[in-house]
Amino acid sequence: MPQIIDAPVQVELSADGDPRAFVWDRFEHTVIGQPQAVFTRTRWWENTGTPTRIDTELWRLDAAKGGEDQHRYDLRHDADGTWVLALDWG
Amino acid sequence: MSFPHLHVASAYSTHYGVTLPEALAGQAAADGATFLAVTDRDGLYGAVKHVRACVAAGIRPGLGADLEVHDDDTLAPLGRVVVLAHGGSTEPSSTGQSSAGRGYAALCRAVSSAHETTVARPGHPPSIPRGRLAELAGLNSLTVLLGPASDVGEAVERRDNPGARANLVQWQRIMPPQSLAIEVVCHLAEPGMPGSVAPATRMLALAEYARLPAVLSNAVRYGTADEAVTADLADAARHLTPLAQLQEVTSLQVNGQAWLKPAAAMRQVARMVVDAGQHSDGALARLLRDTHDLAERCALDPVGDIGLGRPRMPEASVIGVTRDPLAELWARARHGIDERYADAGGRGLTAAHDRLAHEMATVESLGFASYFLTVATVADIVRDMGIRIQARGSGVGSVLNYALHTSSVEPIGNGLLWERFLSPERQTLPDIDLDVESARRHDIYRKVFETFGASRVSLMSMTNAYRGRGAVRDAGLALGMPDTQVATIAKQMWRFNARDFRAALAEKPELEELAAEVRESAQLDLLVDLTARLDRLPRHISVHPCGVILSDASLLDRTPVQASGMGLPMSQFDKHDMDPMGLIKLDILGVRMQSAMAHAVEEHHRLTGEHIDLDRVPLDDPATFELIRSIRTLGIFQIESPGQMELVGKLQPEVFNDLTVEISLFRPGPMQNNMPLRYLEARHGEVAPDYIHPRFEPILRETNGVVIFHEQVMRLFDELTGCGLGHADVLRRHLGKPEQLSVIEAYVRENALGRGFDARTIDRVWTVLAGFGSFGFAKAHGAAFALPTYQSAWLKTHHPAAFLAGLLTHDPGMWPKDLLVAEARVLGVPVLGLDVQHSALDYRVESVGAGQGIRMPLPELSGSSDAERARIVRHQPFTSLQDFRDRVHPRRRTFEALARVGALDSFIDHDRTRRHELLAHIQSLRGTAITIADDQLAFEVPLPVLDYEGPRFDTVTSLQLRGRTQSDLELLDTGLAVAGHRMRKYYPLFAELGVTPAAQLATLPGGTDVLLAGVRRATNTPPMRDGRRVVFVSLDDGTGPVANVVFFHDAQERIGGGVFQTELMLVRGRTRRSGARGVSVTGEGMWDLVTVARDRAREQAKALKAARAAALLDTEPAVAEGAAATAAARQPIRRAAGSGTTEFDLWQSA
Repeated sequence: MPQIIDAPVQVELSADGDPRAFVWDRFEHTVIGQPQAVFTRTRWWENTGTPTRIDTELWRLDAAKGGEDQHRYDLRHDADGTWVLALDWG
Repeated sequence: MSFPHLHVASAYSTHYGVTLPEALAGQAAADGATFLAVTDRDGLYGAVKHVRACVAAGIRPGLGADLEVHDDDTLAPLGRVVVLAHGGSTEPSSTGQSSAGRGYAALCRAVSSAHETTVARPGHPPSIPRGRLAELAGLNSLTVLLGPASDVGEAVERRDNPGARANLVQWQRIMPPQSLAIEVVCHLAEPGMPGSVAPATRMLALAEYARLPAVLSNAVRYGTADEAVTADLADAARHLTPLAQLQEVTSLQVNGQAWLKPAAAMRQVARMVVDAGQHSDGALARLLRDTHDLAERCALDPVGDIGLGRPRMPEASVIGVTRDPLAELWARARHGIDERYADAGGRGLTAAHDRLAHEMATVESLGFASYFLTVATVADIVRDMGIRIQARGSGVGSVLNYALHTSSVEPIGNGLLWERFLSPERQTLPDIDLDVESARRHDIYRKVFETFGASRVSLMSMTNAYRGRGAVRDAGLALGMPDTQVATIAKQMWRFNARDFRAALAEKPELEELAAEVRESAQLDLLVDLTARLDRLPRHISVHPCGVILSDASLLDRTPVQASGMGLPMSQFDKHDMDPMGLIKLDILGVRMQSAMAHAVEEHHRLTGEHIDLDRVPLDDPATFELIRSIRTLGIFQIESPGQMELVGKLQPEVFNDLTVEISLFRPGPMQNNMPLRYLEARHGEVAPDYIHPRFEPILRETNGVVIFHEQVMRLFDELTGCGLGHADVLRRHLGKPEQLSVIEAYVRENALGRGFDARTIDRVWTVLAGFGSFGFAKAHGAAFALPTYQSAWLKTHHPAAFLAGLLTHDPGMWPKDLLVAEARVLGVPVLGLDVQHSALDYRVESVGAGQGIRMPLPELSGSSDAERARIVRHQPFTSLQDFRDRVHPRRRTFEALARVGALDSFIDHDRTRRHELLAHIQSLRGTAITIADDQLAFEVPLPVLDYEGPRFDTVTSLQLRGRTQSDLELLDTGLAVAGHRMRKYYPLFAELGVTPAAQLATLPGGTDVLLAGVRRATNTPPMRDGRRVVFVSLDDGTGPVANVVFFHDAQERIGGGVFQTELMLVRGRTRRSGARGVSVTGEGMWDLVTVARDRAREQAKALKAARAAALLDTEPAVAEGAAATAAARQPIRRAAGSGTTEFDLWQSA
């Protein structure tokens, strides 16, 4: 069952720009394998203000805390640069 | 490591790409790229700009086109592919030919071929047959990228692997070896959507299966991620559908990732694509390497491949030259000089030959002999067609062009310089503009194509960019705003850039209402931002109004062409691309004034049999100058605007050169630098001419010490430094660049001291030169303009009826036709109404008594068809209404309109009162619609309306005629008030209010308070020295020339939008004298004349009613009182107009 987390997290990027690890709840989660980015368009004309981006950035990745089983997570990267752990897919 | 983008649409892919090539190349170079391709949709529209931008950014350019392909036999669409040109080697191959330029030529031909489809199948978008593409891709010329939009990619997208493989096999079977690559595109869209990672990885797998190279691209539409918004607007505009209604996925971009991503981001994408599928080892490295390898093959050499900067002229044989072009040119030029200067005397002739030798030396060293012969050939073609032609531009400064009859202005006597046109120091190709009759322009183009051959000639295109109104319309469309609301805003989008929309809202008083709405509405606020984003983006291309490209037989290997609106092929390159591409462009500009003058000459010939040769009219006719000085310049070329009238009034031209000076002064640069005032002071002896130094006097004498012309600046530089006129022109150009000023100053100071000028003189002349900047005007331009100015003034002076017929037919000027009609009336030339018995297809001169009048032509009747008009002209005259109906068979609408305006009055004995019955009769006619032949026979049977027995059927009143004056009717159906001026019905009101007639303004002293009224004929906001906007409104009350009212900033604020919108107006203001004959009015208040008239009528009606009521109450004394009140209402007290002036009787003559 996916679990909504919606908590800001610290993300560490690798040299080539992919998330390598993130710190959630004081624990470092290490990314395993190639994370996938997904950009979803918004209907910006229905919101107020002129947007600088027309899509939202989400990273779907597998990560593990210490030696525990890996989980699949969705990390949202907001326009202001903050990272939010959106979902824990289990 | 860098990443080469192979698939990039620039903003020249209109309504698709949104970033200009310069920005794209700069961005790529900043990211460390060494290569960038631009592959515009359906063409090479941005190609030349891209190549130049790459050269400037220090990277290698690639070129391609994003083209639709179809099957040769079935015509079935095969989707879109990217066609990329290969770079060539300048080394000769085994066949002995170098491959340089081969790929680029094949690309040009491929694009042209795609556009041929639009001709063969009208309405079809450009598309290339695959067989033709295969043919062009031979000899290792092209690579075709099969990406997501190809038939292969579409099959992959819908998971139809067998279909994808079958489609790919077809491509492999038809295309030559090594001309195909699979294009992998991934925009990181949501799973299940196009642009997601899954179809991308399947494309990669397909390439591996088929053993084809796979390359990664980003199918770029914009430079940066934040421009994705602009691309959304482009999609909405392309589909003419609001964003909210656009189908996501098919019509709207899936997300905002189609930007020119840096190398790191592209490698990230590559990793995700490879990781998402099952690929062999090393797939990631192979994908990136194949991408680099293809970029390497597609890197073009700007010179070797594209031919940048190498001019090519038509082969000498095409223009009938069999010997060396230089020898031919010498022979023709010498002969021309002997003929042109036959009357100049020995010394003049020698001087002309010396000048020719001087010019020919440059022509020889630059190798431009063929160019001059080519232009002269075109001029000969035009003249042989019997069409008026006149050269314009700096080429007029050449005695060579004069000798070849390319130009008709004598350059030596007019002080024009060859070096302003051409010198070894000039880096750009020469430019000669030919003005011809506008009505015959297309005939000339066709003849030029015929003479030179379609492989050497093409029309030039022009890129139309978004401006305020278009931008706000398309932004409003994207947001789905109501048309009427957007139209209301668009109407106000003028006189400022859309980019400055927000600033304009804050500053301009007439926009205050809109600004308030914007503050209230989030949607309007968004609209303002979106409008600014669209500003300046290319919107569409169209044929340039005058550019014709002439080249050798390789033209179509260097530019793609597509059909223009008029059918002839048009290059996809615009004027900015000509010089870099070495394309010779000739401006053959249709000038309506030339057509108008030709029409006048023709009409005069038709009526009198006399032939006027305008080009031989003496240039010193006193009557012509008298007319010009009287500032009755309406309709005269170049000097008819309110501002020009004022300057002409002050300058009082006496000789031809004065006209050249006048036209050159009336330019933004000189105006802003106060040059007219300084010149006028010296001209009228208010100050002594200041030549700074006796050695400058010969240079500055003609303009009384004021530097006006480029030629004078060049001569000054030459006199100061001895640098030669060619280099002097380079210095002159650099004056416009602030960073160059100190360099030029140092050069001037050093050399001038050595040439005997003292420091003080140098200081003073340098101040003048530096202040001149790049302003001013080439005297060659001024003189070339002055000639038609003089010729048209001469025609107006001596043949006003014929001249006005020409003006009305070809409408060359700034004023509305209705004002020209008013001018004819003032000049005593009667304008005769529309009459089916006499009216032709254009304005004709008719004898009226001893004089001449002008007959309104049939096309002025709005709503009538070409066929109807042709039948009327063909069957004239008509014996009866029946005859007219039978032979012309007009549609009901036309028939009624003809009756209303009086064009059928000849059938009712010109008795206007009978029009009611005529109209009623026509309206009562019943019948079924029939198609008729042009040569329909007629029966001479009078229609019953004329045959009534007994008393006249005059009780009929047509509601269409009732209460309307003849002028009203004419304005409704033709837009022109011929019978009388449209203001005439207000004359009683004018008399009552004390309105000053425009014709009397000049009799008033400055500072007089006046009321003016009339119809707005023009609105101008000329550039002003202090930068504050001033609005000039030209009012016509029918008494004479227009009265010019000036509204300064405070008045504009007080009046608001009415300054621009009210059509009939009443203005309160104060006279302002300018020069001997000039007077204008400073506007202080303004009212809508229609409202004033209505209110006034109501007041009078009320007064009348009150008087009657009073009369009923008390008979005896009130009768007299009531009668007095009635009289007062009926005969308003006539006030004296203005202050201290007598009343005007002009209104009485009405």
